[in-house]
Amino acid sequence: MRISRIARTAAAATAAALLAAGCGSGGTAGSTSGHGGLNPPKLPMLQSLGPGEGQVNLVAWAGYAEDGSDDKSVDWVHPFEQQTGCKVNTKIAGTSDEMVSLMKTGQYDAVSASGDATLRLIAAGDVAPVNTALVQNYADVFDGLKNQPWNSVNGQMYGIPHGRGANLLMYRTDKVTPAPDSWSVVFDGASPYSGHVTAYDSPIYIADAALYLMRTRPELGIKNPYALDQDQLKAAVDLLKTQHKAIGEYWSDFQKSENSFKTGDTVVGTTWQVIANMAQTDHAPVKAVLPKEGATGWSDTWMVSAKAAHPNCAYQWMNWIVSPTANAQVAQWFGEAPANAKACDRTTDKDFCNTFHAADEAYWKDVHYWTTPVKSCLDGRTVACTDYAAWTAAWTEIKG
Amino acid sequence: MAPPPTAARPLRRAASVLHRRAGLRLALLLSAPMAWLVLAYLGSLAVLLLSAFWAVDDFTYDVERVWNTANFSTVLTEPVYRAIALRTLGIAVAVTVIDAVVAFPMAFYMARVARPRTRKLLVVAVLTPLWASYLVKAYAWRVIFSQGGVLDWLVGPLGLSSPGYGTTAVIVVLAYLWLPYMILPVYSGLENLPANLLDASADLGASAGRTFRSVVLPQVLPSVFAGSVFTFSLSLGDYVTVRIVGGKTQVLGTAIADNVTLNLPLAAALSCVPVVLIVGYLLAVRRTGALESL
Amino acid sequence: MKSDDSPPHPDRPAGAVRLEGLAKSFDGRVRAVDGVDLEIGEGEFFAMLGPSGSGKTTVLRMIAGFERPTAGRVLLGGVDVTALPPFDRDVNTVFQDYALFPHMTIEQNVGYGLMVRRVPKAERAERVRAALAMVRLEGFERRRPAQLSGGQRQRVALARALVNRPKVLLLDEPLGALDLKLRHEMQAELKRIQREVGITFVFVTHDQDEALTMSDRVAVFNAGRIEQVGSPAEVYEHPATAFVAGFVGTSNLLDGAAAEQVVGETGLFSVRPEKIRIAHPDDPAGPDELSATGRVAEVVYAGGHTRFLVDLEAGGRLTAVRQNLDEGSADVLRHRGTDVVLAWQRKHTVRVGP
Repeated sequence: MRISRIARTAAAATAAALLAAGCGSGGTAGSTSGHGGLNPPKLPMLQSLGPGEGQVNLVAWAGYAEDGSDDKSVDWVHPFEQQTGCKVNTKIAGTSDEMVSLMKTGQYDAVSASGDATLRLIAAGDVAPVNTALVQNYADVFDGLKNQPWNSVNGQMYGIPHGRGANLLMYRTDKVTPAPDSWSVVFDGASPYSGHVTAYDSPIYIADAALYLMRTRPELGIKNPYALDQDQLKAAVDLLKTQHKAIGEYWSDFQKSENSFKTGDTVVGTTWQVIANMAQTDHAPVKAVLPKEGATGWSDTWMVSAKAAHPNCAYQWMNWIVSPTANAQVAQWFGEAPANAKACDRTTDKDFCNTFHAADEAYWKDVHYWTTPVKSCLDGRTVACTDYAAWTAAWTEIKG
Repeated sequence: MAPPPTAARPLRRAASVLHRRAGLRLALLLSAPMAWLVLAYLGSLAVLLLSAFWAVDDFTYDVERVWNTANFSTVLTEPVYRAIALRTLGIAVAVTVIDAVVAFPMAFYMARVARPRTRKLLVVAVLTPLWASYLVKAYAWRVIFSQGGVLDWLVGPLGLSSPGYGTTAVIVVLAYLWLPYMILPVYSGLENLPANLLDASADLGASAGRTFRSVVLPQVLPSVFAGSVFTFSLSLGDYVTVRIVGGKTQVLGTAIADNVTLNLPLAAALSCVPVVLIVGYLLAVRRTGALESL
Repeated sequence: MKSDDSPPHPDRPAGAVRLEGLAKSFDGRVRAVDGVDLEIGEGEFFAMLGPSGSGKTTVLRMIAGFERPTAGRVLLGGVDVTALPPFDRDVNTVFQDYALFPHMTIEQNVGYGLMVRRVPKAERAERVRAALAMVRLEGFERRRPAQLSGGQRQRVALARALVNRPKVLLLDEPLGALDLKLRHEMQAELKRIQREVGITFVFVTHDQDEALTMSDRVAVFNAGRIEQVGSPAEVYEHPATAFVAGFVGTSNLLDGAAAEQVVGETGLFSVRPEKIRIAHPDDPAGPDELSATGRVAEVVYAGGHTRFLVDLEAGGRLTAVRQNLDEGSADVLRHRGTDVVLAWQRKHTVRVGP
């Protein structure tokens, strides 16, 4: 989809424009409707790297800061500690929402935020701009990940890209025939699998429905699955309510999801590459594909807290986690495409970057990364779009 | 006679002061639990209630301490929350009824039929599942309800299949999890029932069924209500079991959990619903005199 | 040994309750009741007396139907009811601790048996009222058992049983939980009620006074068996065994050498203390009297009478009782250590063993 790239650029521009226009409403937002776009408070960024503070507190997805406790051979935390003298304290978060709330406490230095958390953190002033000049390995990060609407404002990076993945369509090859190549199998065509369909349990999943509608019902005029006006949201919600009848369970715990596919309680639904890999390792007859409509996805960014007590260690961590070796390790462990181009040479599986389409920009073109929906439409329209609060309410309603 | 060691004197003096003043003694004794009750328990409830009147920013989700009742009107007017509240209530009532019906014969056997030694073993057997982790039990049920799982295998020959994950599974698992909380009060109620009341009833011409209805049930009912306080309120507040075997079922617990990380005020307003339901239930139960059998 | 097994009212047809070879063992081991044969007549006030564990309560529970006999039969009015459950037997029970239903009012308690048997409401109300009137508890209809005193509860239990007009009323230690004064009142009350309703009362007691004062006949139980059945006077005056002599009244036995010397026969003999006259050593015994010399070992002053424990020269010890007609306590205590002669009429010497 050619348009998505443009849409993203447009969104960035819109966000920047709003940043300029929306000064002064930050403090009491929510009481008025004028708060939709990005209006980050002016925060200083680190100008030069000083000596490490001896420790760093991270909020991370499971598997992003492994210290060998899950698998002895999977450890990129201890080498970091030895090299920098910064002791790593990790708090695992389960959802983007949890990450946002943890960062609001101000007790953490850095966070591995997904695209649906980043903008919220930026707008709230919870994270500071990042001086990429101080992160040596930033130079090797794929260009497709730099200066994106979910990690930058007005050309200013607010974090260091970590890696990316797509939300794929997984199905049981023995139960779902013919092999699906479209999301329709979980929407309009879900009835044969009623009670055994799964979907990601988060308001952000509404974008998956919107993406499907974007292709199947062009008359709705959806240009960006994260920029939905009232009518478009309603269409997506209706689609999801229909889907609800076929749903067996929603998932947010990746291990539970893998287990459901393995037992056959779930036969088709959205997934991550890492789950597909795990299920196949366990000999479950499953396959994961990127359907013809494209997919939503996630691109994670390491961000630094505005109140970081250990900013120098946080910068060193960011530099470390996108260094070729560590980035290759984390990408392989979690099952995602690394952000650092040079990481592809360090993977143990030489085909890894191909499997995960690390350098395949054409592949990512069809992947719409999670972005927080805001009132000011990300696709550049001047109508009012629905924000994440509306999506959250809609999601509760969909699940009944 | 040697004077007492000086170090002991202040202690002895304090002890004698305490001995004379019963009020002071009581105050010292109760201050720690009272502080706990007021600060930790009532305090957290007060904060919960208070935060329900706050708002959050639509985008950044910063909590804003602006006094408003929007969260309550959302909870009360949105049909989805009403549906969720009713569903949760239905589950809690179903679990309570099932537990009462299942617990009664088990408790009756334990209290009235089994020999003393068997009785002790049975009490232990009823209590043993409480030692196992709640999560382990819930996941075990997930396996049982699974596609091609134990339940499918059991009822398959009858032409039936597992109901799968959903409300039915939630009710079954919660009824299993809370059953000991029903059995124990009913058991103790039945055990305290004087045997000669049953003899007297039979002596006056009542059959076993009549005795059960007119003598046993009315007197053990308070114990059943006491047990139902546990099964009802635990079911009302549960969300872990729902997450594990509930499939797509939404209950108050999951709705609160979904909101608690970011929209604390809405979560707080939502959690007032089970609080109100439980308080209402307790008031209703109190009229039966069941709280005295707790 | 003299015993009379026939009811004292030969004009009434016999056989309200008949027990044949009744036995009961618990857990297959303890023989709580070990072969009891008994016939209780219509309208009798019958006492089953014995120490605790003697099997009397178990026999009562087998008559009521709460326990199934291990062997033997229970007949009520000539009909074998051994296999019938309690609710199919035409008897009612007054329990030791009354067993009133705490969740019902007095009215509901008393009316329970009638309600269960589907007696019409109006008749039920009338009978409940009459039963409460008989036990003098009018006005207590709406109260609950917890609001009544022990004596009142006792009356409720009585009314609850009698309102059903059973052929036989069973009472299990009915007065055991009452204090002495109330017990005497209730004894009279029970007698009055039994005369009024005219049905058979079978009551279990361990209190010999209660058994002697209230009943027409007494069965003395020991170790699961009946030692003696008879009227109170027979049981008291002519105990059949040493156990009966000891349990009913004070044990006062002459044995071995003492028996030979004093009575002139070998065997075991009983003399009731109040039959014994304390005489001076030089005071001769009468022609029909037996006498024994001894020394007063102990003097027990008991208000209305005094008990003298006398060690006999011939061996053994006898107790003699004397009314305190004109002596105070200081006077009677002087007798300790003095030599005395005990004398009693020959006919009051009862052989209770070989």
